[in-house]
Amino acid sequence: MDYSKQIQDIAAKLFADGKIDVFVGYRMNGFDDNQIPVVITDPKEVSTLVFTEKSVFNLSNYLKADHTRNKRAGLVVKGCDSRSLNLLLTESQVKRDRLYIIGIACEGVVDDKGQKMQNCIECIVPDAVVYDEMLGNPQGRKDYIVNADIKALAEKGLVERREYFEEIFENCIRCNACRHSCPLCYCAKCCIDQETASLYNGSNTASSAFHALMTWSLHLAGRCVDCRNCEKACPSHLPLHLLHKQNEKVIFENFQNHLAGVEEGERGAFYKYSLKDPDDFIM
Amino acid sequence: MARVGVFVCFCGANIADFVDVPTVVEEAKKIREVKFAVDYKYMCSDPGQQMIRDAIVQYRLTSIVVAACSPRMHEKTFRKALSDAGMNPYLLEVANIREHSSWVHQKDKKAATEKAGDLVRMAVAKSIANEQLHEISVPVTKRALVIGGGIAGIQAALDIADAHIPVTLVERSPSIGGRMAQLDETFPTLDCSQCILTPKMVDVASHPYIELIPYSEVIELNGYVGNYKAKIRKKASYVNFKTCTGCGTCWQKCPVKVPNEYNMGIDKRKAIYTPFPQAVPNKPVIDAEHCTYLLKGKCGICAKFCEKGSIDFKMQDEVIEREIGAVVVATGYDLWDATPYEEYGVGRYKDIINSLEFERMVSANGPTGGLPIRPSDGKVPKTVVFIKCVGSRDKAKGIEFCSKICCMYTAKHAILLHHKVHDSRAYIFYMDIRAAGKGYEEFVNRAQVETGAVYLRGRVSKIYQKGEKLMVRGEDGQLGREVEVEADLVVLATAIIPYKTNPALAQLLGISYDKYGYLSEAHPKLRPVETAKAGIFLAGCTQAPKDIPDTVAQASACAAKVCGLFAGDTMKKDPMISTVNNEFCSGCQNCVQVCPYQAIVTEEIPLGHGAREMRTVAKINEGVCQGCGSCVAVCRSMAINLAGFTDPQIINEIVAI
Repeated sequence: MDYSKQIQDIAAKLFADGKIDVFVGYRMNGFDDNQIPVVITDPKEVSTLVFTEKSVFNLSNYLKADHTRNKRAGLVVKGCDSRSLNLLLTESQVKRDRLYIIGIACEGVVDDKGQKMQNCIECIVPDAVVYDEMLGNPQGRKDYIVNADIKALAEKGLVERREYFEEIFENCIRCNACRHSCPLCYCAKCCIDQETASLYNGSNTASSAFHALMTWSLHLAGRCVDCRNCEKACPSHLPLHLLHKQNEKVIFENFQNHLAGVEEGERGAFYKYSLKDPDDFIM
Repeated sequence: MARVGVFVCFCGANIADFVDVPTVVEEAKKIREVKFAVDYKYMCSDPGQQMIRDAIVQYRLTSIVVAACSPRMHEKTFRKALSDAGMNPYLLEVANIREHSSWVHQKDKKAATEKAGDLVRMAVAKSIANEQLHEISVPVTKRALVIGGGIAGIQAALDIADAHIPVTLVERSPSIGGRMAQLDETFPTLDCSQCILTPKMVDVASHPYIELIPYSEVIELNGYVGNYKAKIRKKASYVNFKTCTGCGTCWQKCPVKVPNEYNMGIDKRKAIYTPFPQAVPNKPVIDAEHCTYLLKGKCGICAKFCEKGSIDFKMQDEVIEREIGAVVVATGYDLWDATPYEEYGVGRYKDIINSLEFERMVSANGPTGGLPIRPSDGKVPKTVVFIKCVGSRDKAKGIEFCSKICCMYTAKHAILLHHKVHDSRAYIFYMDIRAAGKGYEEFVNRAQVETGAVYLRGRVSKIYQKGEKLMVRGEDGQLGREVEVEADLVVLATAIIPYKTNPALAQLLGISYDKYGYLSEAHPKLRPVETAKAGIFLAGCTQAPKDIPDTVAQASACAAKVCGLFAGDTMKKDPMISTVNNEFCSGCQNCVQVCPYQAIVTEEIPLGHGAREMRTVAKINEGVCQGCGSCVAVCRSMAINLAGFTDPQIINEIVAI
């Protein structure tokens, strides 16, 4: 999976036609064979753009920053990235007419060790769902698989599970990298930082981390697209996907197979209602 | 420093039997901010309220906690007590230690007392974060919209208009009058329905404060109480009402014959028609579904004969807008289709009719000139079987509820039958005789004694044809035996159901309805004419089956409510509504999606100080917001706060236990 050449050509053409002000893509990090996101404003830098199975980051995250927010931007999205982009469009954070989207029919990306990422093995929507141009051969929708870690977690008792999470969250240093790396965490002022939120703020105690991360995961429940940007960013290597995948499973089972951001214009599971919603749980 | 007063009520024995009230007071006194705590037998009584007023002054209290019954019961009472003592009424918190503690924990007094203590602690903590709130004034458009021109709509419109408040009356059919215009005589006095209704219809047409818009329907309602905007579609009538004199030449000449809805399809009307001779307005409309000219482009006979040139085949539907302050919904009822009663042969045997068809036959202006006939051969029936509760009170085939009016109109039908066909006999199969109402029982007795109607308590199991007759086999429950009646005509008192468009109308208006399509009142006993949506009221059978006296009473009640609403130039509104903190709002608009009142819109504000670029934030329409808090729950950045239930208040409450 190497679309570097195609992406360079498209970006060059977009700049030449004056269709975009910035291009969000990947480039080599300069010291090993890993890549980093790059925001290009100078057409001359187009040649640095790459796209391979090492292009792990979700670039829709860079649309919420000031240097792209009100600009015309081109960007590259894989299946999962396009779902978060879809949600950003639905939640009025970016405007579709300002974007030129290169969708990738993604075959999965790899981690530092060259192993295919777990979320790519379990990927349900490998092809970009919103795009202007598609690269690669679309593979279609795949079946929903319950994450193996979640299955293991379900076997633990309630107390045991809580203890497990408390132990994990003790390592949280409250750096908020998870939040900053998440494309869907765009609030002007996060609730965790607000003065009234006495449950979360204060020192980085296990309790405050526990509450903050739980709140964060609930704010992403029904919206998380499993891109794992948060896990990649976490300096403490916390298994944050456990929170999100558990929510995803519960929501998939109870909200008519809801998958975040797959349908255009569809909001997160908790933010929409229809008269056809099942109501058999109401006594 | 907050100074809280706690007032714990015994509620007679209601609370004191299961909660140790003095202990609760002692517990309250332990809270640092509580400067005064006391108990009393009935806090809501005048001496109880006086204790609150005195303590506010004496102990310089900054907020008040009353531990008593549900705030639904007495929150207003205590708020007023606070106001009277010069304190902002919204500094009150009610701890519900009756419903939430004593009533639900009657087996464990100790636990109930402990819980009451917790509830008081929570209320004290919350009250410390209470802010002074002030009632909101919302301007009012003094015009009412009445949907439906039956007797309910007519009465409501007249009563409102008599108070010099303009009314727009929208009626879907070409004439007002509704079901009552189809009736012959009315129970229990047997006065002629038309004779008492038509003067009111004429009043509507001539009233200076009533704007009558017939042949039209409401298609959109936006806004909020006092400030609604309605869109009304006027269906094309193809007749210019301004020039038409209603002379009738057009419908005499029209060659197209269509089943007449007014006479339940027993006879025919023309494609250009007025529903009945006393119609108001007495102007014809063209039925576009059947008019030959409109369908095929040929004919146009009505236009040729119209001296005034009032026929306009090019007329289009027109949408008009009205600004209104309140809505009265009076869409009326329909008859339930009895087809599921296969054993009665409904649809198979021509001589089985429903009660409205019978009503039309015995009407002096009906298709048969007032004489009941058998639809199969036109003969006058001698033996008529009336079957009540067809569909009503029948979970298996029809609907669970009682249609309420069938017992009475069937008694009336028995009397009318006797009046028209003297040597006839009525057999009435019934489940119960429900004749609760002034003069109703006497009326049923009259039917039984005067006309010799045979009341048979039991269900009919089968109807079958035998020669010209219909054999009605049923049970006489009182004698415990099977009976078979040889009938000439069978009349089914089918259940009454709301008009089929009710659910769609309810969704358009944003009000709730039940599984049958009846519109729901706000409270079955204490708010029977209001809906849950402020400024929308219900009259007549759109809410539940009811007879004419009840319908008229309810319509007048609606009028009283509308007049009350419009009594001032502005309306006072509870200040417990949501507000958006623009600084925190990221404009995701999830709140817009979940708001059940469409109270949230968006607005564009500058990105920063002096910035030219704009960003979108949510904006609450304070007139519409009902303070349900749905938006607060979905706002991830906590940019929305509900006054009276702010995050500091709730968090204080949680921390207190």
